[in-house]
Amino acid sequence: MVLELHVWGPAFSLPSIDAQCLATIAYLSLTVPKDAWVLVASSDPSVCPTNELPALKIGSTWISRFRNIVDYLRQYSNGEWDLDRGLTSEEKADNIAFSSFIESRAHPLLDLSLYVTSQNYYEATAPAYARILQWPNQWILPPQRHTAAKTLTEPLGLSSLDLSAIEEQRKRDVSAAVAAGQLPQSFLNKPHPSTTAGGISSFLGRNPHHQGQFRLEALTAELFEPLEEILAKDSSPPRTYLLGGAAAGGDEHPHSVDCVALGYLALALVPDVPYGWLRDAMRKNPRVMAYAERMRKTCFGDRAVEVADAYYYGRGSAALATATTGFPWQVPDRPSLVTVGWTVWNTVADAVPILRDLRVNNRLREAAQSPQSGLSGVESKTLAAYATGQKKDILVSVVAVVGGIAALVGYMVSAGTFSSGEEEEEEKEEYSGEEGEMMPLTEVDPESFQMGNILSSLEGMQEL
Amino acid sequence: MSPDIRETPAPPPATVSISRARDYFSVPAPIKRIFDHFPLVTYPPNDLPLRAGSSIRGNRLFVFTDAKGARRGSPSFNPQCLKWQVRTNHSCANVFLDFTIVPSSNHASPTGSLPFLLPTLPTDTSAPIPSAKLQKWAIEQVHCEEEQQLNLRFDVYASLLDHRIRNAYLYTLYLDSDNFEAVARRLYVDPSTTNALVRTALSVQLQQAARAELLKTSQYIDVSALEAEASEAFEALSTLLADDKHFFGRLNPGLFDASVFAYTHLILDENMGWKRDRLGQLLKQHENLVQHRERLLKFF
Repeated sequence: MVLELHVWGPAFSLPSIDAQCLATIAYLSLTVPKDAWVLVASSDPSVCPTNELPALKIGSTWISRFRNIVDYLRQYSNGEWDLDRGLTSEEKADNIAFSSFIESRAHPLLDLSLYVTSQNYYEATAPAYARILQWPNQWILPPQRHTAAKTLTEPLGLSSLDLSAIEEQRKRDVSAAVAAGQLPQSFLNKPHPSTTAGGISSFLGRNPHHQGQFRLEALTAELFEPLEEILAKDSSPPRTYLLGGAAAGGDEHPHSVDCVALGYLALALVPDVPYGWLRDAMRKNPRVMAYAERMRKTCFGDRAVEVADAYYYGRGSAALATATTGFPWQVPDRPSLVTVGWTVWNTVADAVPILRDLRVNNRLREAAQSPQSGLSGVESKTLAAYATGQKKDILVSVVAVVGGIAALVGYMVSAGTFSSGEEEEEEKEEYSGEEGEMMPLTEVDPESFQMGNILSSLEGMQEL
Repeated sequence: MSPDIRETPAPPPATVSISRARDYFSVPAPIKRIFDHFPLVTYPPNDLPLRAGSSIRGNRLFVFTDAKGARRGSPSFNPQCLKWQVRTNHSCANVFLDFTIVPSSNHASPTGSLPFLLPTLPTDTSAPIPSAKLQKWAIEQVHCEEEQQLNLRFDVYASLLDHRIRNAYLYTLYLDSDNFEAVARRLYVDPSTTNALVRTALSVQLQQAARAELLKTSQYIDVSALEAEASEAFEALSTLLADDKHFFGRLNPGLFDASVFAYTHLILDENMGWKRDRLGQLLKQHENLVQHRERLLKFF
């Protein structure tokens, strides 16, 4: 049976725009024979029931996520399609630890570089998405991804990369200052960077990114330096891959951790973005650079991947596509009207406050109820029961809030009717007492004042 | 009148448009006049409550714990706090860093998270030190070596704790309903208030925060994947420890030992009262990690 690997489409001359997809493509191209799988750039997570890419389809079974796919391939081929065969236990531990290390450190950096950095997002990433997505996803998915990246990287405190957020904040500050009467009107329309909180940045350098420069350097060093060190370690012949190597006496071949590393490093190295701080940081580590280039050549070949590869060459047979482009591309199915409708419904539903909470709970339940989730029968039952219970909780809280508001309104109405008799009279008296004093105030209407000025000035002109 | 206006058309429209723009952006004059009077009186800040300025001398470490636990110096029930409690108890810094445990909640922390430390040493600045800067501070105080620099695998294996095991722990503690009712509600929610409504709100907030944290890195929460990743992480840590007494072959427990202990102790602790103890089952498969936890527990 032919395995179908569904991924985000090609971008930046790489076969996919997503690091996990790149890692999976690399893994499959190293293990599975070319005629046993096809690569589908469906670029739409809704093709898969877990709503995630990369996803592997075998018959009617879907496996998503890199690690699950690796595990499944090992079982499916009886241990033949497995890069991590014959590792010693130390190497196995390193394999796990380095994968986790690269994923946890490189993911926020890539998000910062490709999504949060405004120039890069608007000039490189968003157009790249536009080329691989179909209507209406091209209007929905990139902003979603953009927001997710911002939430993920928020704790790093590097919002200075996000020019649009800075600009918004500046406008808000200025209009607040104008409203408070501290600044003259003319500041509103004039871009004036020195009025912002980071005014000193204009002295340090013209680029607002300089604010986060030190923090960025520390973050990138945290990722690249351990990699550089392990590649340099016991290196009479320099290491080709992260694990094993000639020094350890084993034969040199890549492992699953190398595929993960390639996925993330390639997206740091290859994209030609306007503000390439990530690539600049990587250049400081020559061994990591050489390693990424080498891995890229091994797994993805020399040819730069074009978007047309996936959608044009994929029309023919997989063998032909492999011969021309190096990957067994297959054209994704055109989205049916139902799919489009479903996507639109999902987007709308995710934007509605209470509905959104209900749906977040569903994401847990689906995982438990799907048969291939690997849970035992009892476990998945308790989980599903838990998720349903949560759903009930939310409904109960909705009812409680509505009831509470109704009770409050009811109380206010009843309290108002009880005491209305006495208070109304008092209020009337107060009101009539105040009215006399209020009168002069209404006469000093600023507008009439100004109009009067204008009129008098006009009359003055007339006299002239 | 009108022909004259036509001769000089420029000034009047300009004035009108400015006054209109001012209408949109400026506060109406009468209201502004009222607000100009504020603040009428500025009161001096309240004194601290009596119990806050306690007679404790020395460094104070604020952690999640109860009053009884603080007196006996027993382990905190929060992994982040426990890590620093161990660290400051008996790492290289222990001789110099005498400190007292103070029960606290994250509402008291300047950064919103525990633990934090109120030092006494630089008496002029009593600025609290958040957990992220604790290590730097400890190193400055006693001039001991920084463990990260000694071994390149420190950061790499620490990512297992900070992500894989932490995610699985978050799920087990907050999102698993049985455990949440039995453990998290008792430890985090109930001590902060007796009001049933506030308790409900707090627990919903806690669970939502945990869910949001897990959904940051993936599209949906795959429980089996979380557990599988935690299992892998335990396996890797067990291999790293091998037959040594402490990680990286150290003679005394260090920061990494403390970080591992912070999770393994809470997962294996009988007093926590886990209802669904999947992580414990996975951890018990690695005998050396269990022994490592017992070795460190003796210090308390």
